[in-house]
Amino acid sequence: MNKIVSTDLHAQDISTIQSSAQPAERIAVGRRGFLSAGAAIGGGLMISLVLGKARPAMAAAPTTSTVNAFIVIGTDNAITMITPGGEMGQGINAGLAQVMAEELPVDWTTIKTQQAPFGAQFGRGATHSQVTGGSNSMRGWFPLMLQAGATAREMLLAAARQTYPSAPQPLKAVAGAVQDANGAKLATYGQLAAVASTIALPAAAPILSGPGSYKLIGTSMARPDVKLKVNGSAVFGIDVRLPGMVYAAVRHCPTLGGTVKSVPAAPSGSQVVNLGNAVAVTGANTWQANSRAKSLAVTWNLPTASALTLADSAGLASAAQTLMTSATPAIAEQIGDVTAGMAAATKKLNVTYSVPYLAHACMEVLNCTVSIKKDASGTVTGCEVWAPTQAPDWVAATASKLTGLPLAQVIVNAMFMGGGLGRKIEQDYVTQAIKVGLAVNKPVKLTWFREEDFGRDWFRPSALSRVQVGLDAGGAITAWSNRIVSPSLTRSHGGVPKNGLDGISIGHATALPYANANRLVEYIEQPSAIQIGYWRSVGESISAFVVESVIDECALAAGSDPYQYRRTLLAGNTAALGVLDAAATLAGWGTALPAGQARGIAFSPGFGSLCAIVAQLALTATGTVKVVRISAAVDCGTAVNPGQVVGQMEGAILHGMNAALWQQATFAKGVPAVRNFGSYPMGRMADCPKIDVTIVSQGSTLGGIGEVGVPGVAPALANAYATLTGTRKRSLPLGIVVAPKGES
Amino acid sequence: MITLKVNGTSYQVSSDPSTPLLWVLRDELGLTGTKYGCGVEICAACTVWIDGSPEKSCDENVGSCAGKSITTIEGLSPLAGGATHPVQLAWIESQVPQCGYCQSGMIMAVAALLKGNKKPTDAQIDSALSNICACGTYPRVRAAIHKMIGV
Ligand code: FES
Ligand code: FES
Repeated sequence: MNKIVSTDLHAQDISTIQSSAQPAERIAVGRRGFLSAGAAIGGGLMISLVLGKARPAMAAAPTTSTVNAFIVIGTDNAITMITPGGEMGQGINAGLAQVMAEELPVDWTTIKTQQAPFGAQFGRGATHSQVTGGSNSMRGWFPLMLQAGATAREMLLAAARQTYPSAPQPLKAVAGAVQDANGAKLATYGQLAAVASTIALPAAAPILSGPGSYKLIGTSMARPDVKLKVNGSAVFGIDVRLPGMVYAAVRHCPTLGGTVKSVPAAPSGSQVVNLGNAVAVTGANTWQANSRAKSLAVTWNLPTASALTLADSAGLASAAQTLMTSATPAIAEQIGDVTAGMAAATKKLNVTYSVPYLAHACMEVLNCTVSIKKDASGTVTGCEVWAPTQAPDWVAATASKLTGLPLAQVIVNAMFMGGGLGRKIEQDYVTQAIKVGLAVNKPVKLTWFREEDFGRDWFRPSALSRVQVGLDAGGAITAWSNRIVSPSLTRSHGGVPKNGLDGISIGHATALPYANANRLVEYIEQPSAIQIGYWRSVGESISAFVVESVIDECALAAGSDPYQYRRTLLAGNTAALGVLDAAATLAGWGTALPAGQARGIAFSPGFGSLCAIVAQLALTATGTVKVVRISAAVDCGTAVNPGQVVGQMEGAILHGMNAALWQQATFAKGVPAVRNFGSYPMGRMADCPKIDVTIVSQGSTLGGIGEVGVPGVAPALANAYATLTGTRKRSLPLGIVVAPKGES
Repeated sequence: MITLKVNGTSYQVSSDPSTPLLWVLRDELGLTGTKYGCGVEICAACTVWIDGSPEKSCDENVGSCAGKSITTIEGLSPLAGGATHPVQLAWIESQVPQCGYCQSGMIMAVAALLKGNKKPTDAQIDSALSNICACGTYPRVRAAIHKMIGV
């Protein structure tokens, strides 16, 4: 028996528990420990276990000790950092491990990272949230990760003091080992881990090294998961395989809102499960399951024709126009007197912008694997889920609800995500997999083919936004009013918009950084039967396109340079100016361009960070436009891993560019038009402009980095296009650049 | 039974011959490094080598692959499960992957390109790589290739 101990950082105490831990290739952190821990919250005792895993055991594998919930150290000195953020490409596993490693000095090259399963000890804040979204992971977990590393360090030092009582003090932790006061190595962490795991947590919070002496934070460390992602060994959700597993594929009603009317008998050798708005069919492999699902003669109950106008692009577009002029808006922001400001204006703008619904198009389609155990009487006794998910705690709640098991008996393994983008926060695919698992009495992996993934997305909402601006003779804004018509994300997720408002749908349309004493921002909720959801920068992707395009229109109306115009309106806002200036400098704003080229600029703060983007466009010989270059400046406070910050910006810029130039999801009487990439263009190597990113470091608070690069891209492109051609584009997609080959 | 030669190993496969190679690799042989992205030859996530040339495995019936030599991402490095192929090493050095989902296909396509063309131009890189990367790793893909070929 191997003694395994773990402590939670909220706890003041520690306990030990016996477990039959098996050496494992991939360490599984069990949920059972949390069961006892859950009862102990407040009582000051928190335990978690390291359990064996049903995976090929390595010969003579080392045993491991969990020093605390986040750090597992093997007798072979292998250190696994259990990182609570969901890894969907943003490098959060490595980033959070890097923060832990700042306080627990290690040899970084020996580090492994593993995503935490469901378990409150991994959550942040009072609710123990494990949700990765809103660019919150680094901001949310940073303090806890410092504490985790420092606590582990103190426990290892205490273990060394106990083991080597006569060693010259003070002892020091250095790169995976403890040294005495003279620098002589006493023992490696691996040698100390078992003892360390029995040490009581220090009563006081350990002293942190502090920003002044950071060695890893702020350095572009290599991501441990990259090694797994170049040889096919990274296990994404879709790669999970269990002994005796069957494969299931899903086919939804072709019309949104439709339900299953009748299901024919299952094809021989398969099972069919009625999922309400879809059927799932099993097969010996994913392809067979999907082929069967596609050919199954299901009949459907369709919504009424009038209901379908709420799921029809043309119908929704005209309804939005009507709402804009006839509905009573809710007031999101009102400062000063817009009417008076407008009366004082010498120039007025009245412009309307629109953006479409958008899909996520994560490269990894939705999937979820479930193993459900039942006793002889058919009562569910266990449920384990493997999901590519941004919210393992929500998956656990879903599983608990559907199986009737207490949360503590549900195990959720959060797998690598092949992109998340806000789609993998939803529970629909998880719900389906659990229902199928309950029905088929075998472990099952449920997969949505690409057509289902596009057809039943939770789409980025559409919006219609009318902006009226008054300018004085000098070009200063005397009044700004913005009325937004858009569906509500709150309502789409079963809530009711409070006071008729939806902050996520409004994005950053309020609290603009630009000088303006009179402002009014209004919101009108548009009823829609399109399921809408979170999307990399959601509301900000809408509001920034509108606001930053209109600011450009103001600059042109005032006869000002768009960059200098923004500078004037941002006067006194040093941090904003720092970022705006950095982007302008990087892009060479104001320097001569070849004939037929132009630049556009946008400033787009969000997610606790500041960002400015400059796009450079060129007219081609055939009269189309090419994106030549995008330059970006970002201030996210502390760039924990600058290389990954730049990577996130590059990715965000290309994500924003795909959406701005080409993408839209449309619906014809409830039938989604986009079913594969052929009608949802994604840029390739050939479409990728030169991208330059500069990180601005000016002492700001730690901000998010996953999303802030997206919103400014569309307006920067539209602004460049207006300068290049004199034509203002007020709706997305811009349609100014030829779509990637073969796509429309 | 279809005999498949994958990464130097022979397998007997009982799948329907019309099953795309992709799903046989993933679900029957457990070689899950090869990824499904679209199923309709657009995204190239499923790229493997068939007799040395890059092909989209979502569009190759397994029946037509009998007797051919197939290489997947798992077999790219001479050391099974290793990551020592020059493209893999370059990818680690330049920290190319983000989510990593498209990268098996991307790496197989790049490695195939560099087999036949030691110093591709940017235009040749663009036309050889039709892979979709939703994470937007293209700048790093290009930088990593440039570094490898000394540009
Ligand atoms: S899955 Fe084969 S090309 Fe997309
Ligand atoms: S790295 Fe995520 S899709 Fe390419």
